[in-house]
Amino acid sequence: MHVLKTTMIALTAGAIAALAGANGAAAADGKALFSDKGCVGCHGEDAKTPLQEGYPRLAGQNADYVFQQLKDIKSGARANGQTAEVMKPVLEEVSEDEMRALADYLGGLGRFAEATAKGASDAPGKALFLTRTCIACHGKEGNKPVLKTYPALAGQDKGYIAQQMKDIKSGARNNGAVAAMQPVMHLVTDGEIDQIADYLSNVK
Amino acid sequence: MKTLMRILAVTAVAAGATVITGTGARAASVGEAGYVWNGAGGEEDEALGLKPDAKAGKDVFEVCSACHQPEGWGLSDGTFPQLAGQHYKVIIKQLSDIRARNRDNPTMYPFALPSQIGGPQAVADVAGYIQTLKMSPENGKGDGKDPELGKKLYADNCAKCHGASGEGDNDKFYPRIEAQHYAYLLRQFNDIKAGKRRNANPDMVKQIHDFTDRETHAVLDYVSRLVPPKEKVAPKGWKNPDFQ
Repeated sequence: MHVLKTTMIALTAGAIAALAGANGAAAADGKALFSDKGCVGCHGEDAKTPLQEGYPRLAGQNADYVFQQLKDIKSGARANGQTAEVMKPVLEEVSEDEMRALADYLGGLGRFAEATAKGASDAPGKALFLTRTCIACHGKEGNKPVLKTYPALAGQDKGYIAQQMKDIKSGARNNGAVAAMQPVMHLVTDGEIDQIADYLSNVK
Repeated sequence: MKTLMRILAVTAVAAGATVITGTGARAASVGEAGYVWNGAGGEEDEALGLKPDAKAGKDVFEVCSACHQPEGWGLSDGTFPQLAGQHYKVIIKQLSDIRARNRDNPTMYPFALPSQIGGPQAVADVAGYIQTLKMSPENGKGDGKDPELGKKLYADNCAKCHGASGEGDNDKFYPRIEAQHYAYLLRQFNDIKAGKRRNANPDMVKQIHDFTDRETHAVLDYVSRLVPPKEKVAPKGWKNPDFQ
């Protein structure tokens, strides 16, 4: 009986601690979570030096957008590219409160938009960005989206942007506000998508 | 006790119903009980009561021009409709409906918001500015393969509301459809028919209910080829000097 009582107390204490831990994470250090949950492994310690090309840079991204993507990747609503195989399992270990903390942490970091590869190139991707309606939603140079739930694009990884555009166009990605973007994707060919991605990745 | 419980229950339901039908609920859609096409109220009414300032509207229109083009001609592939030539009241109604989410348009929605373009005065202003724009001389058209059928269908089904030449009716909020891009007409026609366009006129939904694909293409091709009065159409290659 004494053992049972002790066990019960221990279990209760453990449960309380776990709850406290869960609630504590909401106020917790998003930076610590970014490290503890393994995000740094693929996205880089500074959240803008990914492990390999094709992975997105995250630093300074709109917090509401990041939050939506984390939720959607975890639920499977977003399953394009590497999200289902690589990221979804990681997010099994991340609660919604923790996702919010991570999103807010990333949103508070300085935005990257320095040139990544060869040197900023202006045309032809820039002309496409201006005339195929992209600028309307994503803002000048892809840096000032019209809504906080839309992503900033300037300085993003070139392969990643191109892949997202192609996936949105094909329907392979259709989460969040993609319904707003899908109807204009037929305005660009795959080749033009690559040019736009090249332009955006090099925005300073 | 039983009476008291009943009173409490009714009160609770009534209170709940009030909360539910309070500020949060959206207006009924076409096909739903209580739907009133162009029902009174909201920003639409406010905007309709204001005096438009076309000069201020030009600044508002800069937002719209990113997709509807500086000339207001939209895209001839129908992605964005031509706004030039559209009636004042029609623009106010559709813009108000899009931002109130009575008409679904995720792509446009952010740009219709007050935070982007302003309140009811801005709606009136931009509608006023659009009245100054001349129409495209080269809108997107259908395949032109069924002109006889198209003409007859139009006369029998559409003319009584949209006018003999597709000119619409400002006072009745019936849009001008002549020389609108074929692919846009097709999308709207099909959405209205399917109930997907939630702010549609129920008389129209009924009228087009039995249209076959062939009839749809024929009548809309016909409409896309209707020619507006000369003074309403811009010369080829015209660019809007307001945005040069």
